Amino acid sequence: MSARGGGLLKYMGKRAIDRAAVVISSLTLQFLLLRVLPYYVLGIDPSFFFLNPNLTEEQKEIIRRQFGLDEPLLSQFVKYVLSLFTGQLGFSFYTRRPVYAELMERLPNTVLLLGTSTVLTIILGLIIGIIAVSKRGTRFDASVIGSSIFISAFPLFYVGLLLLLVFGFYLKWFPIAGSISRPPPRDPVRYVADLLWHMALPLTALLVTSVGGFALFIRNLFLTQLGEDYVITARAKGLTEREVMLKHVLRNVLAPVITILALEFPGIISGAVITETVFSWYGVGRWLFDAATQFDYPVVQAVLFIQVVLTVISLYIADIVIALLDPRVRLR
Amino acid sequence: MIELKSTARSEKLTILKDFLLELKLYKTGLLGLGILIVYIFIAIFAPIIAPVDPNEPGLADSYAYPEWFSIFPEYSNLPRNVFINIGYNDWLVKDTSEDISINGDGEYTIIIAHCSDRIETRTITLEYTFTYTYDPPKRFSGRIPFRVAIYNATGSYIRIKCYIMTPKGRMYELYDSMSIAYNLSRLETPASYDARDIYLKLKLGFSPHDDLGEKILNEKGEYRLQLKVFILTVKGSGRVEVTLGVKQFRVYGRLYGVLGTDNLGCDIFSNLIYGTRVSLLVGVLASVISVSVGLVVGIIAGYKGGIVDQILMYFTDTLLFTPILPLIIAVSVFIGKSLYLEIALIALFSWMGFARNTRAYVMSIRDSMYVESAKAIGASDMYIIFRHILPQLTPIIYITLVMRVPGAILLEATLSFLNLGDPSVPSWGRMLYSARYAGAFFRFMWWWIIPPGLAITFLALAFVLLGHALDEILNPKLRVRR
Repeated sequence: MSARGGGLLKYMGKRAIDRAAVVISSLTLQFLLLRVLPYYVLGIDPSFFFLNPNLTEEQKEIIRRQFGLDEPLLSQFVKYVLSLFTGQLGFSFYTRRPVYAELMERLPNTVLLLGTSTVLTIILGLIIGIIAVSKRGTRFDASVIGSSIFISAFPLFYVGLLLLLVFGFYLKWFPIAGSISRPPPRDPVRYVADLLWHMALPLTALLVTSVGGFALFIRNLFLTQLGEDYVITARAKGLTEREVMLKHVLRNVLAPVITILALEFPGIISGAVITETVFSWYGVGRWLFDAATQFDYPVVQAVLFIQVVLTVISLYIADIVIALLDPRVRLR
Repeated sequence: MIELKSTARSEKLTILKDFLLELKLYKTGLLGLGILIVYIFIAIFAPIIAPVDPNEPGLADSYAYPEWFSIFPEYSNLPRNVFINIGYNDWLVKDTSEDISINGDGEYTIIIAHCSDRIETRTITLEYTFTYTYDPPKRFSGRIPFRVAIYNATGSYIRIKCYIMTPKGRMYELYDSMSIAYNLSRLETPASYDARDIYLKLKLGFSPHDDLGEKILNEKGEYRLQLKVFILTVKGSGRVEVTLGVKQFRVYGRLYGVLGTDNLGCDIFSNLIYGTRVSLLVGVLASVISVSVGLVVGIIAGYKGGIVDQILMYFTDTLLFTPILPLIIAVSVFIGKSLYLEIALIALFSWMGFARNTRAYVMSIRDSMYVESAKAIGASDMYIIFRHILPQLTPIIYITLVMRVPGAILLEATLSFLNLGDPSVPSWGRMLYSARYAGAFFRFMWWWIIPPGLAITFLALAFVLLGHALDEILNPKLRVRR
């Protein structure tokens, strides 16, 4: 037992170093693309967009120095990485408020929307995928495959727009923008109801575009396992199809499922940008988009940093879970 | 199909034939190919299918309905475009002072008044009659190109006014040049009036919220456009010359084209047709670039192994874990909006998965016996890569080339929808952007909102279906499983 634990610890340590290195290099890439390339290669001065043009050159220089834009590149980079890792996300160029405070206002909304959609996607995808593979070759299976492929060709923002058009503008069942009524209801029950009412359309858009693909993935994954000996054994024992699927096959395909879910994380964040922009949801995705269009560097960098870290952490957790489930992985 | 590099041409043709025969077995693949051919046809013949320039504004009133709406009774009498050009031959000289000469020079009307021995005022009235039978429009506008030349008669004045007279005899002054006492040419930049002009509305005694078209052109019958030129000449021997260009008068229709117009009065159908080009270009180009990059990185990493492999894979992982869309948004905002930058960014962030697959594949080939023996007889790395490794990769290259296209198309549409695309290029994503932010939803203009999205979907779907069929045909592993 101790040897097993030691192997796991060593594996976890090695993985942690790998993942941390990826975070650093991803930050370097972002720094190069967002700071070095526009300013030093293409000559676009970010301060041009938010400085009052009536200021004199000296005044502009003082403001640039306050924001640390006059320092050499390398020291800017080191400062940038250090401050990100110590949680000092700086001040927004645009609102002059701490990025951290603004982030905390928006993060709960994003987590609520995308967390719900991710959990529902996993549950619905597993259910539909497993039913499809149990009934493979039937009309249900064919319609799952067909509709998954068809829906995968729909852009997320278009699904959102169609939902808005039909249920928001035409039928007027759901609000066309925002994440809560103004002013918000005082009564907690009505508050939750109001929130759910605002969430219905964005959530549906996210689910429609993601459930099909995930169900198809689960179906195909299960299909690769059905010829395996252990499945035949389980069937020979007289287990029902349902027991075979849930007790035997699901356990064997869990590792790739977890990996794909962890890899989905960057996709979830992209989904947040689009969904929140289409539905004017008060969250991190729309904030990032607005900040980018306003050249608000600290906000853009902070949000991108948080997203990279979240992705890497989720992958790391996936690594550990897989290693716990399947000891062979640790030997690689 | 794997043996594509065979040299004999006829052999290649039979392979292609076999491939098409095989494709016939996969009906969905054939469907995808069919849709794709339709799109390519539309992209090539876009100028013939939609002759109107997609970026030209003011083709009709903003938010015009599609022309075929006229089959419904409530839309049947909505205003159509009435664009009138009035040249020298079209004017009817209503009345004129005797000592004025009027000549035509092509379409131009040249009015000459000679000075006499006293100060004299003269008037000339030109008239044009047109019939208007539709419902009142929201907007009309006009242009009056003219030139005033005063020869040796300093102190003379010219004044040009434009009126419209309704069938019932109401008269409105649309334009007044005020007194001009100097040489002035407005042939290139004509004087103009527009029913949306608030000063014009106020001058005619209407509220700024009224639509002048509805107030003035609300009778059916013969309208008269009048152009009055007032000339005051001083004593002397000089002369005054007024040249009138082709006067334009436009009533902007509220029924236009196949799919109406957008908020700027651009043709929506034209935008839809031309959008095909951008989507195909971005999809195919981004896919080719990303597959090429992935192939090179994958082959080098897989074949060389060791430290090269580790560095390349580290770089690949970095890109793989970076949130793509947010980063592309930030980069394209900071650097600028251009079609080729967009393609480069899409390609830059989509080659990683293919590089990883290729690497795994190359590694397994590299360790095989025949590569070992090729090395033993002294084959170079290049020879092995081109002779032994690449031919085996051909099927996955083809499959990936096709499978990558829908992703690139959807990403391009998304970027354009976020208004990060090239603003000079018509694209489906940008159409949806303008529909969203110019009020198409409030007006429930489904003919503006639904077609571009369906166009994106079916183009992406064509590539997905084709990709799946290719996958089944070219990928022997899958075929066994069937």
